[in-house]
Amino acid sequence: MSALAQYALLLALAAGVVGLALSLHGISRSLGKPREEEGKDVPATAGKLHRDPVWARYHVRYYGYALLFLAFDMEMAFMYPWAVVYKELGLVALLDMGVFLAILFLGLLYGWSQGALRRQ
Amino acid sequence: MTTVLVIVALLVGAYLVAVLESWTSTGRLSFASPLLAGLALVGRESLVPRKSDRIFFEVGPVLLLVSAVLAAAVLPLSPGLIITDLTTGALFVNAALAYVMVALLMAGWGPDGAYAMVGGFRFLGQLVGYSMPIVMAIVGVAMRAESLVTTQIVESQVTLPNAVYQPVGFMIFFVAAMAVCFLPPFDLPTAPGELAGGVMAEYTGWRLAVMRLARAVLVVTLAASVTVFYLGGWNGPVLPPWAWTAVKTLAVAAVMLVAGRYVPRLREEHLLAWYWKFAIPLALLNILYVGIVLIAGSSSSMSM
Repeated sequence: MSALAQYALLLALAAGVVGLALSLHGISRSLGKPREEEGKDVPATAGKLHRDPVWARYHVRYYGYALLFLAFDMEMAFMYPWAVVYKELGLVALLDMGVFLAILFLGLLYGWSQGALRRQ
Repeated sequence: MTTVLVIVALLVGAYLVAVLESWTSTGRLSFASPLLAGLALVGRESLVPRKSDRIFFEVGPVLLLVSAVLAAAVLPLSPGLIITDLTTGALFVNAALAYVMVALLMAGWGPDGAYAMVGGFRFLGQLVGYSMPIVMAIVGVAMRAESLVTTQIVESQVTLPNAVYQPVGFMIFFVAAMAVCFLPPFDLPTAPGELAGGVMAEYTGWRLAVMRLARAVLVVTLAASVTVFYLGGWNGPVLPPWAWTAVKTLAVAAVMLVAGRYVPRLREEHLLAWYWKFAIPLALLNILYVGIVLIAGSSSSMSM
């Protein structure tokens, strides 16, 4: 199978899942509509619709981790091609990535020492 | 044809996972309950919360199922029995599973309910924790196989499965896989008893059925990826290849489901601290370990 056909198949799978959801929706609708009742569509809280938007209720206190995550996530983009050719290149590859990872690891340790690895 | 077979296998796996999961929570082994519950959910009314973000609310559960199915599409059940044998298979698994977080965040944000919102943002934090260990563990696997193609990864484990070759990577991947499919010690986004269902709290009727199905398929996908990356996939004596994959996948899923019963739910800050101070350094050391073993192995074979 060519690469294009493979991705087309994956797209078809995604479309099939959407189709499944739509057909379930169709079956459900054909069985009847939800009855209009007061307060039924209020989200589960205290039975009353809250006045303010609800996102104010959660404080993202893990942003220190999230910043470190960005640095590590970028690094992982380099690790995959490196992993494939690793055995072929041998020791050179180990040293190359070792230096890169050591710098990153020192960064992690420095962040840890400065209190980045805790709930802010 | 293979596509249909794999999808049927995925559905059967999801059904068995649902049976197992109800057994872990109720203690009764009821083979009809997942089917009856699914039918009943489709028959019930599916409400849309009043001030919901409609697009996010509708897309959330469907995207969760899409990401689980797409990740399963690149995992082989036996030689030839794979939907697409992508050249970037191991990377594609990561890419598809990244959307689990997007789907749960959408499902949390969409209904504008307090419990769902807290659950969604908690899962974003959980991703910040689990995603680096899972990606780094797969790097160790790809280094040994010299390929990202999942079938070649399985073939690289003919002599020795990766679970023995790199046990640290296996443990890290296993625990992180449990966090991806938010199974009990890591069920922060749903958190029954604390968040009243969290991201699932506002879903009813067929939308909830899609979400529950997606979760079960996700557990099967993660169990299958543990099998493919670490337990040698279809390799094994006597039984046919597909049977080995099935047995290993179901065993992994059962261990994942049962293990959570004996561990209390982790708090978000503890989970992040454990992943960043413990799992990520260990995963990096695992890469170093695999690198040294590979070089030592190739130089000793050259000198012979």
